[in-house]
Amino acid sequence: MTATPVTSAITRLCDPVDISGHRNNTAVSAATETKAGEFNVWGNSFAAEYLPKGRSTVHVDGVPFLFPPVCEGPDNIRCAGQFIEVPEGRYDWVHVLAASERRCEDTVDLNFADGSVDAEALRVSDFWAAPAWFGEVKAFQSLVMHYPHHVQRGVPAVMWAQRVPVTRRADLTGILLPRNVAVHVFAVTLQRTES
Amino acid sequence: MTVDATARTYMITGPEPEWWYRDLVSCLHATVGSVLARAGADPLAVLGAGWQFLHLPGDVRSEEFYYPCAEGEQGAALAPHHDLSARWWQPADEGDVWREVREALADDRLVIAAVDNFHLPFRPAYGDVHAAHLVLVWGLDERRGVVHVSDAMPPAFRGAVPIRDFLSSWGSANPIDVQDAFFSDSRIGRRCLDVRLNAQPADLTPELLGGFLRTNTEGFTTKTPARTGLAGYDVFAAELVERCRAGDAGALRELYPFGWAMQAQASLHGELLRRSGRDWGDPALAGAGRRVESVAHAWTGLRFTGAHGLADPRSAASGIAHHATRLRGAYARAVDAVGAVAARR
Repeated sequence: MTATPVTSAITRLCDPVDISGHRNNTAVSAATETKAGEFNVWGNSFAAEYLPKGRSTVHVDGVPFLFPPVCEGPDNIRCAGQFIEVPEGRYDWVHVLAASERRCEDTVDLNFADGSVDAEALRVSDFWAAPAWFGEVKAFQSLVMHYPHHVQRGVPAVMWAQRVPVTRRADLTGILLPRNVAVHVFAVTLQRTES
Repeated sequence: MTVDATARTYMITGPEPEWWYRDLVSCLHATVGSVLARAGADPLAVLGAGWQFLHLPGDVRSEEFYYPCAEGEQGAALAPHHDLSARWWQPADEGDVWREVREALADDRLVIAAVDNFHLPFRPAYGDVHAAHLVLVWGLDERRGVVHVSDAMPPAFRGAVPIRDFLSSWGSANPIDVQDAFFSDSRIGRRCLDVRLNAQPADLTPELLGGFLRTNTEGFTTKTPARTGLAGYDVFAAELVERCRAGDAGALRELYPFGWAMQAQASLHGELLRRSGRDWGDPALAGAGRRVESVAHAWTGLRFTGAHGLADPRSAASGIAHHATRLRGAYARAVDAVGAVAARR
């Protein structure tokens, strides 16, 4: 018997979600235009040169994500209670690429076709030169931090791959993001329940 | 100590100061942590032993290192269960502002100095943003014209800074700066914080920690005339929301530095409990620590909702109320969990 690599097994079960209609914040900037980024209140941003190409499919631990457009306007959802509709179906995990303005815990409401709603924790570590406090995978790292007026060495900006469990055995229809401006979501991918 | 009377070089003995840092602490805990580490103590065991809520209306200063405490009680506020003293001082002689620094270094003591990031070449805000910060001074070389500085906050730095730059930073007016509403507009005034651990901490045991937890829990559940504990939090939160509804941006300017102090303290206390629970095979203690950490994480929502809402406090009021409620819930769950652990004998 030939073992199937775990990553490819996961990849086959994953469906990236289109969140383009919800993006409302620009977290990535070019070195030539650092003022264009405003991940936090101080106008810091990720350096585009260290991140994947915009609109590309990227894999983190076998999970495929649709990387947002880069340096073309808003690239992430700053969480403010947006509702992301998803293709109705059975899922085990909601995977996200996310970063937080400080280490943060909040909740997402998972909405199901039968009318039930489950609140699940969304835990995201700090983007600012911080460890993966919640055991996330470091998805991407900008080795420099962009400030409005300069590029800062020695302060990396980190984007995390985190996941939220779907414990209910029912068809998921949507995800209500938290009302928490500190939390930024760059991509969402659903992992289907293995039939 | 190294003293060359003619060269006027003063350095602490032994290795350069250790960086001590956690992602939720400010420069206050970071610098005091380094002093504790050099004194041979475990910074987490000292700075993470206490946990309280204290809000002092009208006391909050726009400085990264603001920490609420009664007059002269900075050491006790940071480490209520240890013999830690912390005293702010300023040079007595404007004609020789280095005298006390020389004396401290000659006495082999680190100096914690307040600075304005705008003037320090190694800080990201250099030449850009005014902000009140703390660094460690571990050497002074007047012959070569440099101050040896250590800063654990990213980007961590340990090295020499020209005396001219340091003096500009140490003596800065730290004027109001629209780029940093939370840590500017607070005169630096060559302040320094003298921190001393007057007695080596006893080894942390379940019994000793249990006593700390009982005291901390009592502080949260006992109503006092001051804004302390859960009752004090309720007064603070209600006033915060009301001030936002009234369009008072000052409430949000104060929230950020004040909240950092409470957030840092909760993160260290939670980490200590979690670590101790793991080391002692006590999952209930570890779980209580995790709940205290959730308090720290809930402070993020409140602090950053305020930071982003500064320009329009009325619009931010609803979000502030939401996160104040979430934080209250986190406090309640954490106090319950810590209280249950503390009640065991």
